[in-house]
Amino acid sequence: MDIVSSLALGFSVALQPLNLLACFFGVFIGTLVGVLPGIGPISAMALLLPVTLSGSPEAGIIMMSGIYYGSMYGGSTTSILVNIPGEAASVVTTLDGHQMARQGRAGPALGMAALASFIAGTAAIFLLMLIAPTLSRFAVAFGPAEYFSLMLLGLTILAFMTQGSIAKALLMACFGIVLGLVGIDQITGQLRMTFDRRELVDGIGLVPVVMGLFGVAEILSNLEHKLKREIVSSRVGSLLPNRDDWRRSAAPIGRGTVLGFFLGILPGGGAVIAAFASYAMEKRLSKEPQRFGKGAIEGVAGPEAANNAAAGGAFIPLMTLGIPPNVVMALLLGAFIVHGLQPGPLMMTTNPKVFWGIIASMYIGNVMLLVLNMPLIGLWIQVLKVRYAILFPLILMFCVIGVFASSNAAFDVFVMTVFGLLGYLFRKFGYEPAPLVLAFVLGPMLENNFRKALAISQGDLMTFIQKPISATCLVLAAVALLAAILPGLSRQRATIAKDAS
Amino acid sequence: MLKRTEAWGGLLWLAVGMFVLKQGVDLGHGRINEPGAGFAFIWLGIIMMGLAAIVLVSAIREPGEALAQLWSGTRWPQVLAVIALLLGFGYFFETLGFVLCGTLLLLILMTLIDPVGLVRAIPIALIVPYGCWYVLSKGLKIQMPTGVLAPWLG
Repeated sequence: MDIVSSLALGFSVALQPLNLLACFFGVFIGTLVGVLPGIGPISAMALLLPVTLSGSPEAGIIMMSGIYYGSMYGGSTTSILVNIPGEAASVVTTLDGHQMARQGRAGPALGMAALASFIAGTAAIFLLMLIAPTLSRFAVAFGPAEYFSLMLLGLTILAFMTQGSIAKALLMACFGIVLGLVGIDQITGQLRMTFDRRELVDGIGLVPVVMGLFGVAEILSNLEHKLKREIVSSRVGSLLPNRDDWRRSAAPIGRGTVLGFFLGILPGGGAVIAAFASYAMEKRLSKEPQRFGKGAIEGVAGPEAANNAAAGGAFIPLMTLGIPPNVVMALLLGAFIVHGLQPGPLMMTTNPKVFWGIIASMYIGNVMLLVLNMPLIGLWIQVLKVRYAILFPLILMFCVIGVFASSNAAFDVFVMTVFGLLGYLFRKFGYEPAPLVLAFVLGPMLENNFRKALAISQGDLMTFIQKPISATCLVLAAVALLAAILPGLSRQRATIAKDAS
Repeated sequence: MLKRTEAWGGLLWLAVGMFVLKQGVDLGHGRINEPGAGFAFIWLGIIMMGLAAIVLVSAIREPGEALAQLWSGTRWPQVLAVIALLLGFGYFFETLGFVLCGTLLLLILMTLIDPVGLVRAIPIALIVPYGCWYVLSKGLKIQMPTGVLAPWLG
């Protein structure tokens, strides 16, 4: 099937009324959680995962994807108007976006953020559509050794990109794998670390872990101090950027799109790193770098394009290899599995309606987001005025609902609370939870592929080095580890990670 | 040294690593061409102990912040109260039901933990849990426990 007919099939799926509604609901919720500081796409997706069970797999995945790329749009609104990033990938937008708002140019800043996001988001889907089928054909040749090494590379890169000590990040990843392996061993049938608890036989649920580490822990951290928000009160004015704004922003949008897309594909990479890399690149390329940080529209356009393109790029490893490159995609993998689907190289042939339906829905979702973000800015400003003291109890209650609905077990409320406390303590002690969650999802696959590879090779560990793809991944993982240890590179890593955090 | 956060972190991870290793040994290592259920735990436990040792060594070299400093000037009682509330919520969830537990949770959070005033707290605490229950049960067919309110909620 060629791309045009595949895309036509995708649109026939995405344009079904229920799927359109799911797409709209997803991008709306995504924008909302992007706008609201204190709740991000990870918590929202975990919260709504059980809701998707009552619909078709296509509708569920379309909605979950919409939340992710929708949050990239929404995050910029809060960054520009309040100087607080609505979600992590919009941190860099605060630098120039909020300065523009203070200078009475909130409208063009918001408009450019939405337009750059739209252009980059659409371009990223186009690239995804072109690259994914080719990569899928290539990925069919992957065996257990290749999968193991690729997942190991993903975890190592994520640990490398994490702020602070690499030893701490790797500890979190190891702990995540251990937690992921709790439950019945798929090969021997033995119970592992279940401590005679019936609820743990099937393993620890992804939803309570994610809700605890990201949702509850975020609330606990925010509660420590009174949150103050100062919304720019001057009129937002016209949202359309002028000719000079476009002249300054066109090239940064183009560069941000390409850079963001490829950083999004990288395991362990993602929207946050893409936004920072784009900002750094634009500042370096600019003839007037002194304008950056003082309201340069390029500082809004480039990073916003980059984080949206990265959101599109991140779908490639998941859809073609079945490997999530970041925590959000790990949750999306959970959604696929809940619906009985296995993303990977065969998905395009076994479930073409789902695969192409998701891609087509992203085009529709991006148009919806542009429509939502331009005229509904007033609504988002009103949302931002809701006090945190009212918001956090509601978020907490929704966390409980999401956790219970995903498993119908009150036990998971305890699991969420324990992970909430752990997540809070991790933040206090300088341990990032992202490697833990990615390792938690990848852990069982990692172990399974490792054991399979050893069984196939009759215990020959050289199998991981003799296969070129596997060897390349292991070498890259070793380079990432060495780079974190070598003093010069370690300093550079610290700077990148600090920026990204 | 034991007043320092990093040292505590290192010691805790060392203990976790030892525990994982012990679990792995109990489950069995298996053979290299047929790894057992404990194979991954044994190696992960060893790696965790090694990484914990690195954290401990760096804590000795650069002691860093004292443990008490982490919570100085923060509203930590609120944090503890929220954790206790969530544990209580989990404990009484099936007995009292979602609507009653939700109402109590919201009411306590909005009146005692971070007060917003009774005029706002009471309507929100009454309407939101019932509204959520109605949408979930009637609209999405997701059953939440009704507990003591079962005769009225059906």
